[in-house]
Amino acid sequence: MENFDITDHLSFMKAEILETLRLVMDPELHVNIIDLGLVYGVKIDEPEKQINIEMTLSSSYCPMGESILSAVKNCIEGHYAGFTANVELVWEPVWSYHNITEEGKKLLGI
Amino acid sequence: MSSIKQNPGLYRIVVTHYVVAALCFFTLAVMMLFSVQAFTGHYFHPQILAITHMAALGWGTMIIFGASYQLVPVVLETELYSEKLAWISFSLFLPGMIALVYSFWIFIPGIHMQCGAVLLLTAVILFTVNVYLTAKKKKQQTIQEDFIFSACLCLCFTAVLGAALVFNFTIPIFAQDQLHFLKIHAHLGIAGWFLLMIIGVSSKLVPMFLVSSYQKTRLLSFSYYLIVSALLLFLADSYFSGLNYRTYFIALIGAAGLACYLLFIVKCFLSRMRKKVDLPMMSTFFSFILLKVAVLTIPFIIYYHLKNNPVSIRYSLIYGVLLFMGWITALILGQTFKTLPFIVWVKHYEHLTGKLKTPMPSDLFKNSLLKIQSAGFIIFCLTFIPGCFFMSQPLLYAGIGALLVTAVMYLANVFIILFHKTKTYGKL
Repeated sequence: MENFDITDHLSFMKAEILETLRLVMDPELHVNIIDLGLVYGVKIDEPEKQINIEMTLSSSYCPMGESILSAVKNCIEGHYAGFTANVELVWEPVWSYHNITEEGKKLLGI
Repeated sequence: MSSIKQNPGLYRIVVTHYVVAALCFFTLAVMMLFSVQAFTGHYFHPQILAITHMAALGWGTMIIFGASYQLVPVVLETELYSEKLAWISFSLFLPGMIALVYSFWIFIPGIHMQCGAVLLLTAVILFTVNVYLTAKKKKQQTIQEDFIFSACLCLCFTAVLGAALVFNFTIPIFAQDQLHFLKIHAHLGIAGWFLLMIIGVSSKLVPMFLVSSYQKTRLLSFSYYLIVSALLLFLADSYFSGLNYRTYFIALIGAAGLACYLLFIVKCFLSRMRKKVDLPMMSTFFSFILLKVAVLTIPFIIYYHLKNNPVSIRYSLIYGVLLFMGWITALILGQTFKTLPFIVWVKHYEHLTGKLKTPMPSDLFKNSLLKIQSAGFIIFCLTFIPGCFFMSQPLLYAGIGALLVTAVMYLANVFIILFHKTKTYGKL
C-alpha cells in the first residue's frame, strides 16, 4: 500500500486514485479492491499522462481476474481524462489475509 | 493468470450444456413420478435403468461437460483446445443419451439402444481427447490435472463397458451375468468419472470461492492415490471374485481417500476469509455430507450381500439414490449458481466494470427461487430416501413432489440468468 509523502507533489493525486479505486469491487466477495489489499502501488508518469497500477489477485486461478483488471483500467481512465492506465499484475509479495484492511475484514464478517 | 475468457463460441457451448442439463433434470423428476412402483423393487429394472442413465448422463455428465469447457481451462491455466470438437461431442452425446434412456424405459435392447451406446461412447472419447489436448498445452503438471485426466479415462472405460453390456443383451459377449459387470460399470462411473472429476475441479474452485488461505495439496495427492488404488483393486477383485470379504478392505481404502479430500475441504472451510457462507456453497457442503452417508451404506451392502439377504438390494438402491440424486444433484444445484452467473455476468458487464455501476453476479438470479429450490431438495432427501428403504409409496410420492418443485425452481432460475438484460445504475 502507498505511503503518503507530503514532499511529493503527486501524493495528493495518488491518494485520490486510491480512493477512486474503492469503486472497483471484487464481484465474488463484494468488497472493494483497496480494502482487500489487492493494490500494491500507484505510479504517475505526469509528462506521459500515464497512471501505472501495480496490483495482485487473491488467487492466481481467480476466474474473474481479467474482469477486475479491466475494471481498474476503466475506472482510472474514466475518472482521469487524458490519462491512460496501465495495470500490472504481480504475484510478489503473495497476497494474504494480512493484506485486508480493518474495514475489509468488517465487510467480510471476519 | 487464467480467468473466464469470454468468446461467443465458448459461451454458446457452455450455456447449451447448462440448459439441456436443466431440462434433463426436470424430465428426470417426471420420469421418477411415473416409476414409484419401480423404486420398491430391484434396481435392475427398466425404469430404474432409464432413470439412472438420465441422472448420470443427461443431468450429471451433461453439466460437468458444459462446466468443464469453461472451468478446466481455468483450473489448468490454459485455453480449451477446440470448440468444434466440443460441439461434435455434444451433438453425438445428446441423441445417444435420448436413444439409450428411451430404449431402457421401454426396454427393447435392439438397434436403438446399441446406436445410443455407440454415439455416447464416441462423444465421451471426443470429450477426453479435447481435455487431453487442452492439458497438453500446459507445461506444469498439478494434482488437479491427474484427477481430471484420470476421470476422463474412467469415463471412456465406463462407456466402453456400458456399450458392451448393451450389445450383450442380444449378442452374448460375457460369460457372467449382466449384474456382475453392472457393479464394475457403475463404480467406474461413480468413483472413476464423477468422484475424480469433482475432486479435481472442486479442489481449485472451493478454496477460491471461500477465499481460503489453505494452499497445500498433500491431502489431495493422498486422496488421489487411495481412491485410484481402491478403484483398481475393486475392479480386479470384483471381476474375478464378485463381492467378498476383501471388498470391506477395498472400501476402506476408498473411504480413506475420500476422507483425505473431505479433510482438505474442511481445512479450506476453516481457513476461509469469507465468513458468510451463501446458499450455493451450503448446498455444496450438503452434497459432501450426502456423499459420506452414501459411503457409509457400503459395509451394509457387502454384509447383507454376503449373507444372501435381500435387504442388500434396498441398501444398494439407497446407495445409488444418495449418490446420483443426493451428492451429484446437491453439488450441481449449488455450483450452478456459483458458475453460471459469473459466465453470464462476464458477457454482459466485463466491458462496463469500472465505468458504470453494474449488478454483481449474485444479482443475476432470484434468491427467493433458490431458497424454495433448496427447501424442496431437503424435503426430497428427507422423504424419498426413507421411502426407498421402507418401500413406502406416500413417502416416495412426497419426495418426488418436492423434487419436481426443486427442478421447476432450478429451471426457472437458470432461464432468469440466461435471459438477463444488461442494466446499469449510473456512472461510478
